[in-house]
Amino acid sequence: MKTDRPVRGVVTRRSALLVALGAVPTAIAIAVTARRSRSTGPDSGEVTADGAPGPAPDGFDEMYRGRRIRGVPGADRAAPGRQGSLEVTVDGRPLHLMRRADNTYLSMVDHYAAYPTPLEAARGAVDELHGQPLRLHTT
Amino acid sequence: MAYIRQNQSTLTAAQKKRFVAAVLALKRKGQYDDFVRTHIEFYVSDGDGGLRVAHMTPSFLPWHRKFLLDFEQALQRVDSGVSVPYWDWTADRSPAASLWADDFLGGNGRRSDRQVMTGPFAYQNGNWKITESESEAEYLTRDFGRPHDPMDLPKPEDLAVAMRDPRYDAEPWNSLTETGFRNRLEGWTSGRGNDRWRNHNQVHRWVGGHMLGASSVNDPVFWLNHAFVDLCWSRWYERHGDAAPYLPAEPPRPGQPQFRRIIAAEERMPPWDVRPVDLIEHKQLYRYG
Repeated sequence: MKTDRPVRGVVTRRSALLVALGAVPTAIAIAVTARRSRSTGPDSGEVTADGAPGPAPDGFDEMYRGRRIRGVPGADRAAPGRQGSLEVTVDGRPLHLMRRADNTYLSMVDHYAAYPTPLEAARGAVDELHGQPLRLHTT
Repeated sequence: MAYIRQNQSTLTAAQKKRFVAAVLALKRKGQYDDFVRTHIEFYVSDGDGGLRVAHMTPSFLPWHRKFLLDFEQALQRVDSGVSVPYWDWTADRSPAASLWADDFLGGNGRRSDRQVMTGPFAYQNGNWKITESESEAEYLTRDFGRPHDPMDLPKPEDLAVAMRDPRYDAEPWNSLTETGFRNRLEGWTSGRGNDRWRNHNQVHRWVGGHMLGASSVNDPVFWLNHAFVDLCWSRWYERHGDAAPYLPAEPPRPGQPQFRRIIAAEERMPPWDVRPVDLIEHKQLYRYG
C-alpha cells in the first residue's frame, strides 16, 4: 500500500510546533514525522530507547483469524546504523506499531499490551479489531 | 469561585442530562473530534524517538490535567453549569453501575461486534459517529472485563500502593520506571498476563474497545477516568506535603538517555506552552467534591 499517503495533517502540525517552540532540535522533529509514517514510508528508521540502532525484526506473512498480516522489512534496512523498521499491514492496510523502551511492541489498536515481536503485536491488533478493517489515514 | 468536579455516582438525573447534552453539542460542532485527534497526535511511545509529553513520561499527569481543563472549558462554553465528573473505579466496579445506564454513558458493547447499543453514545441513536479511529467501525465499542480472558478493575489496594509512594517520579522517567507515584498510577509494569496493568492503564484495558487504542477519547468515559486520575494526583500532593509535586526538577543533560525526550518542571509542554509547575495548584479553578 505504498501509494497511500500516510502522513496526517496533525503530524505535520506537531512537528512544526515543536520546531517553533525550540523544545527539540529540528532533526528530532523530523524523526518524529518519519516515525509516524513508518508503517508505509520507505525511508524511516528505528532507534532503541537510548538512540542506538535496534535489532532488525523478522519479516512475516501469514493468515491469522482470516486476516492477512504481513511485516516487510523497510527499504532502509541495509543503511548503516539504521535498521529495524518493518512495514506491518493487516489485509494490506498499514498498522502503526510503536516500540516500548524494553524493545517490546504496541499497536495503535491496543496501546496497553506490549508484545515481544511485531508479529505478536499484529496478531494482538487483529484480536481487538474483531473483523473491522483498519482505517486508511489519508489526508 | 472554584467549581466542583463531582463523583459521577452522586450526579442527579438533571446533572447527567446536562453533561451528556454538552458533550453531544461539542460532537455536533466538530470540536469533540479535535480532542480525539490531539490525543492521537501526542501518543508517543518511549521506545521510539522524540519528545513524549502525554504518556510513559513524567508529564502524563500535568498534560492530561491541561487536556481535561480544555475539554471542560469547551463544555462550559455550551453550558456554564457543567463540569467533568470523576469515576472512582475502586468503588464503582460493576457493569451494572449507574455510570453505564441509558441516561448517562450507556452500557457494554454487544458480544458479536462489541458495539455499544444503549445510551446517548450508541451509534444507532444517531448522535455519536466515530470518525477518528484506527478501524473503520463508525460505532463506539466496549468490551468490559475482557470476557475472553477475564480481568478486574483496579482494586483499592492497587491505588493505595501508588498513593503511598512519597516520590513523584523516578528514573528512567518512562514506562520502565518501577517506583514513584506517576508510573504506579499511570500503570506500566513489566508483568505478564493479567498482571500487566495497574490503575489508569488497567481501566483503559477493562473498558476495552475504543478505550484500548490511540483514539480512546472517542469513549466519553475517557474523561471520567482522567478526572479521577487527576483527583488522585491532587490528593497525593495533599498527603505528601513535603514532596516535590513534580519531577524531574531539571532537564536531563546532553548524553543522558532522556535528553530532550521528557519535560522537566519548568519546561514548556506542547501544545499549550505551559509548564508543569504552573499546573500544580488548581483549587482556585476547580475542586473535587
